[in-house]
Amino acid sequence: MDNKLVVGIADMKMARQNGMLITYALGSCIGICLYDPKIQLAALVHIMLPLNMETGRKTPLKYADTGITETLRQMEAKGGARSRIVAKIAGGAKMFEVAGGGSLGNIGQRNIESTHMILRREGIRLLREDVGGAVARTLLFDAATGQACVRSYGKPELIF
Amino acid sequence: MKSYEDLNGLELDTIREMGSIGMGNAATALSSMLGCEVRIDLPEVRIMGYNEAIDWIGGPEVITAGVLVHMSGELNGIMLSVQQMEFVNLVLERMIGQTVENYEELTELDSSALVEVGNIMISTFINALCNLADISTRLTVPAFGVDMQGAILAVPMAEFGGQSDYIMTIGANFICGGREVPSRLLLSPDIRSLNFLLKKLGVLDG
Repeated sequence: MDNKLVVGIADMKMARQNGMLITYALGSCIGICLYDPKIQLAALVHIMLPLNMETGRKTPLKYADTGITETLRQMEAKGGARSRIVAKIAGGAKMFEVAGGGSLGNIGQRNIESTHMILRREGIRLLREDVGGAVARTLLFDAATGQACVRSYGKPELIF
Repeated sequence: MKSYEDLNGLELDTIREMGSIGMGNAATALSSMLGCEVRIDLPEVRIMGYNEAIDWIGGPEVITAGVLVHMSGELNGIMLSVQQMEFVNLVLERMIGQTVENYEELTELDSSALVEVGNIMISTFINALCNLADISTRLTVPAFGVDMQGAILAVPMAEFGGQSDYIMTIGANFICGGREVPSRLLLSPDIRSLNFLLKKLGVLDG
């Protein structure tokens, strides 16, 4: 465990120049890696739902929209520049095939769509993604290089 | 409308009691499916934050099986039975006559036995709860998945994640043939159903 910073559900952490960010077992949730390569500032946010409709907005990091904007705000406060920040994302799977389905349908797919939309709206370039399917993903993000790595059950590691 | 964090002592005690009764009924159902006496030890109903619940179940990356059922009617929500390796092998040993080393070894027959056991436990649990509160609900056919625990648990969490930051966990040890095997259930009613349930049980304050 060489100084990995663990990002929980509805959580975000940042690292600069060195350090590894990790978030475990993304199912329908999405891990969003944001990186400013010039100052090697990395942020990883683990969102669970597509849109924040809370009245008090107490947990902005739980949602794709407020999670991304809040993370960008904190990156800018640390000297990150929006024009340089790029993104890589992973997650958005469908863990169970439910006959009859839930009232909310496929949350993973809606998370992917919302994340794409918010990144586009914020002018952040999406470099790579590993999304959808029916498999859980653990996502690692290296602050030194901006490289991301996905490990899943019964599959080889994917570096992107 | 009260969410988990707003519940008072009496309301929480009622939920705990209801969970224990449900788990007791589930153990009886398991007993008849396995054809051996199943006793229940240390039933524990807790309401936890997401990350706390994942720690409680034994960490996010451990592989597990899950049986998931949706309910709709007077009670809306999701119930999930988490089947860790010890539990899987207890079921397979009694029902199929052999055990497995890991989840990759599960045959189609093994999986359908696990789905059936999960489904019966969940239905019995919900049935007991509906009888207590004099309400009715419909259950979907069960869905089955094998993957990392964190992602499996996130399914009931995400379904009503917009309403609450908490989830209800029901744990107990099943004692069967001298072995003690942990069993883990997650009950996730939507907030409206949670309030309706407490009202029907006569304890909702305000």
